[in-house]
Amino acid sequence: MIRLSLVATVLASLLSVAAARAEDATARGEYLARAGDCVACHSVPGGKAFAGGLKMATPVGTIATTNITPDPETGIGRYTLDDFDRALRRGVARDGHHLYPAMPYPSYAVMADDDVRALYDYFMHAVPPVRQANLPSDIPSHLSPRWPLAVWNALFAPSPGFTPNPGHDARWNRGAYLVEGLGHCGACHTPRGWAWQEKSFGAGDPAFLAGANLDDWSASNLRRNVATGLGTWSEADIIAFLKTGHNTHASAYGSMSEVIANSTSYLTDDDLAAIAAYLVSLPATQAETPWRYDPATATALQSGHADAPGARLYAGSCQACHRETGAAAPPYVPPLAGNPTVLDADPASLINVVLNGTAPLVAKGRPDAYRMPQFRAQLTNRQVAEIVTFMRASWGNQAPAVTADEVAAIRKRTEPSTDRIVPLRMR
Amino acid sequence: MQYVIEVNGTARRVDVDGETPLLWVLRDKLDLKGTKFGCGAAQCGACTVHMDGQPIRACQTPIASVGTARITTIEAIGQTPVGQHVQAAWIELDVPQCGYCQAGQIMSATALLTHTPAPTDHDINDAMSGNLCRCATYTRIRAAIKRAADLGRT
Ligand code: FES
Ligand code: FES
Repeated sequence: MIRLSLVATVLASLLSVAAARAEDATARGEYLARAGDCVACHSVPGGKAFAGGLKMATPVGTIATTNITPDPETGIGRYTLDDFDRALRRGVARDGHHLYPAMPYPSYAVMADDDVRALYDYFMHAVPPVRQANLPSDIPSHLSPRWPLAVWNALFAPSPGFTPNPGHDARWNRGAYLVEGLGHCGACHTPRGWAWQEKSFGAGDPAFLAGANLDDWSASNLRRNVATGLGTWSEADIIAFLKTGHNTHASAYGSMSEVIANSTSYLTDDDLAAIAAYLVSLPATQAETPWRYDPATATALQSGHADAPGARLYAGSCQACHRETGAAAPPYVPPLAGNPTVLDADPASLINVVLNGTAPLVAKGRPDAYRMPQFRAQLTNRQVAEIVTFMRASWGNQAPAVTADEVAAIRKRTEPSTDRIVPLRMR
Repeated sequence: MQYVIEVNGTARRVDVDGETPLLWVLRDKLDLKGTKFGCGAAQCGACTVHMDGQPIRACQTPIASVGTARITTIEAIGQTPVGQHVQAAWIELDVPQCGYCQAGQIMSATALLTHTPAPTDHDINDAMSGNLCRCATYTRIRAAIKRAADLGRT
């Protein structure tokens, strides 16, 4: 009797250790799913998490993201760890078909085996199954055979695995692993080439994270360019931005707001520090004149005698928040003076933010208090062009002028009632 | 967190989160209810106050960003000659309808007249474009700004 109860006790404690281990593994998997921001593409607004159905435009047609909940019929419930791994790191589904590289498997390829297993455990055991059939893609039949993707992979997808760079410390290498891998930052921030491939997947190449236009937003240059990149941001600035969406240089907008809400605000301080250490190591793509504050604009606006085109419009529509100094109230309301988005050679984000404002940014359940309102109803294309051109030439900013045609094009493409499907739109 | 801000010439101490909008501090902590909450989103101008003489939206001004700047609200607008002319013109022409937007209108108008004593229609349009009025008193506002400019000349 005593022996029996002893066995029972030992068994129970073993089981609870196993349960705790499993819980640890799924918690780690959940963390990794956040770091990879899987939910951004594999869900639709108002839909069930990870059930897929988000439509994305690609150069060959519209595809829809898939159900990655463990439902055996419509999701990945029948996937073994090997199946899961092949899809995640090589872009090959369980039935052998090649995934479109809108799925960032070329980035996920660097993931470690342990992390793949933890992610698998999380999806299989902690994500509730949702029965929701995948939507068909509307890629025309002559373009729909998937075998060319194998060729694409051979040409462009990096070979799996992460090789730590011995020239850098462990923190930097952790940052490289997160940025190049799970974070798949390059999917938006690295320019794409002729076959829509990201031009580079790693720190060694100057195109990596050099900024790219996607979906009428200019995803910023994340390298050390002193004017148009993050060259003046400290590691603490980068950490603050990824945690809260704001720092003294800039505030998040567009799909970066969602990346922060769903992913980076959940990362540990150590991981954010690793990402920052990695990003500040990426050299600038070109030498730029550093931004220097010039008080002339503020003096002219203060006296009410600013007569540069756009100055009066700025005074009437923008100055009450962004101030005559262009310095606004960071980290709450972003400055325009010296802001890399204002200085960006590609004005798409600046135009887009003026026309369409910013969405609420919720960092760990806490919504931000200040938001850019829309001006698409109040301002004409010519007025927006004048205001934006004024911002790009004031307070020491030096960036090319913007035309009313550029504004008109973005206004048309971002019309809220449009059913146009845009590349990689994150919700 | 403790902040000391200068409002209408007096140092005021408040204990609020740095992110709190100046408008909340003015109305709820300092009981200066003349400044109105319209949209809370930089869209209407009802919350306009002066920061070092410049019109700003109090709803979009975190208290942490105020620093040593001088804040002037509608309660103290009559302390300058320009403000007095604006008040007189507003009364003479009976500008307000419901009145809700008017504190903000007066703050913007006073800032305009302070640096541009004889504004053209174009100046008025530009300076007042951020202040909405549901009652559409725009023509009376324009006339009153011109009247206040006249009062300033004599
Ligand atoms: S309440 Fe501040 S602009 Fe409307
Ligand atoms: S007087 Fe009623 S809103 Fe302006």
